[in-house]
Amino acid sequence: MRSNELAIQLQGIHKTYPGRTGSPPVHALRSIDLAVGNGAIFCILGPNGAGKTTLISVLSGLLYPDAGKGYVCGLDIFGDRRKIRGLVNFASGHANLPDNFSVDETLNYFGMLYGLPKRERLRKGDQLTEFFELEHYRKIPFNHLSTGLKQRLALAKSLLNDPRVLFLDEPTVGLDPKVTLLIRDRLRLLNQERQTTIILTTHQMDEAEQMSERIGFLKEGRFMRIASAEELKRSIRFQEQVTISGRNLAAAGEQLQNICGASCSTVTQQRISCRIDSRQKQLQPILQALVQSGAFIEDIAITQATLGDVFVALAEQSDSD
Amino acid sequence: MLHWRSNLIQINAFFFKIWLITRKRIFHLFEILFWPAIGLVSVGMLTRFLHLDSNMVAFILIGVIALSVVQIGQLDISYVILYSIWNKSLKQELAAPVNMLHLIAGSWLMGVIHSLLVLIILSGFSAYTFGFRFLDQGLLPIACFFCGLLLTSAAVGIVVCALAFRFGGRAHVGANSIVSVLVLLSGIYYPVEVLPAPLQMVSACIPVTYFLEYFRSFYGFPINGSHTLLTGFGLALFYLMAAMAILLAAVHHSKKSGILLKMSE
Repeated sequence: MRSNELAIQLQGIHKTYPGRTGSPPVHALRSIDLAVGNGAIFCILGPNGAGKTTLISVLSGLLYPDAGKGYVCGLDIFGDRRKIRGLVNFASGHANLPDNFSVDETLNYFGMLYGLPKRERLRKGDQLTEFFELEHYRKIPFNHLSTGLKQRLALAKSLLNDPRVLFLDEPTVGLDPKVTLLIRDRLRLLNQERQTTIILTTHQMDEAEQMSERIGFLKEGRFMRIASAEELKRSIRFQEQVTISGRNLAAAGEQLQNICGASCSTVTQQRISCRIDSRQKQLQPILQALVQSGAFIEDIAITQATLGDVFVALAEQSDSD
Repeated sequence: MLHWRSNLIQINAFFFKIWLITRKRIFHLFEILFWPAIGLVSVGMLTRFLHLDSNMVAFILIGVIALSVVQIGQLDISYVILYSIWNKSLKQELAAPVNMLHLIAGSWLMGVIHSLLVLIILSGFSAYTFGFRFLDQGLLPIACFFCGLLLTSAAVGIVVCALAFRFGGRAHVGANSIVSVLVLLSGIYYPVEVLPAPLQMVSACIPVTYFLEYFRSFYGFPINGSHTLLTGFGLALFYLMAAMAILLAAVHHSKKSGILLKMSE
């Protein structure tokens, strides 16, 4: 049942690449179910070879799935491929565009591929070169642009048809922090102003956390978990690290393992560092023990689980877990 | 109305692409003009060395001009895909709502212009240097001859595109091979009657054989069989449609097997 509220709706999508001579077939996607609402930013995380690019390629019509059902903007991914290609667009991190076409020529050419009339192409070209700060490079051929400029051009190209869904495959890979921030800023603006649905793959955890409302963790062609960054962090068993600074800490520090089960890696008079399973259950007994032993506490720092920890935990988790 | 307009713009996209490639890659311009000119001069010199009469010179130079038209006509269609494979930009372009008809029509249109340019240059050059006046036969025979060759060149170009979707950038080897087969079997430099009987049967399946026979008849060479031009066009259209079907199957396979993505990595 297709829903008009959803930009992406997938049920049981399978994709297997035929094996090369002598090698078995590769199951790139296994029974993928996914629903992404209109105007959402959804991030796909996963180790290399998890199937992220395959999934984006299936959704953007560049790769035909073997089985399952799917709708993009309410259109069938098996029957309405050309219509879907007109409504979506994509940009990948390692942008490859015709190498001796200038910025203007590239945008003009791709504008034509999307069937835009000349006036519209010129207007879009002006608008997008300004949006991605490419005005000074309009006559420069693609192969003479820096990596950051190539990436910005690839993104400008991906917005030519005002896509309802934008697929971004590692859009900021290999870029310096300044350009990365510019691109993230532009993408957020686009999402807020035009309600463009963005499907993003990245290996940068801060990007995933800052940009997306929901994150899907893909491993060996399956979504292992789909949730918000906060929910994902809460979902893994993660030992928080508590670091206490002060004076006369050593006496109580050596007892903490017995008192509340905290395993301490550093215990000196000035500093205690230990790992705890539950802040709610273990922090209070630790502090009480320290105060009762006459310690003077100056500072407490608690390191929380990061999305990177979630990534590692899920990547290491076996399928049977 | 809007649909047609957007289709025309998409066809124009590939015309524009080949125009940019021609303008920016001196090598492409070199391929279009230099090799056909070298071919004409070297074969023309050979006819002088052999002291051939004017009809025999015409027989051979018609073959050279025909070969150049087919070669150049297919080149632009082949390049529209090969260039993207070499640049690894194919998936970016095919992510747009374009189809193979847009791609072939746009690039073939530029192929027609380049072929016409080659035809005019070679005709002028052969008249000036070797006294062979190609254009003297009037507009209709030349138009029929030229159109037949263009249809054949489109079929060759489309097959090269299909090979490119299957084997990547190495497909240009296929273009050279197909043109070499035409040289061998369609009577470019000699009448097909000199070929062994089984090969003559293969020649009878090649449209260029008929277009050459038709145009050479204006210089006193006999036509074997009736409806030469009709047979040539019938075969050319058949190959054009067959080539299109092969291309569509190759594109489908590349999207099914992931070759399209591999070619863009």
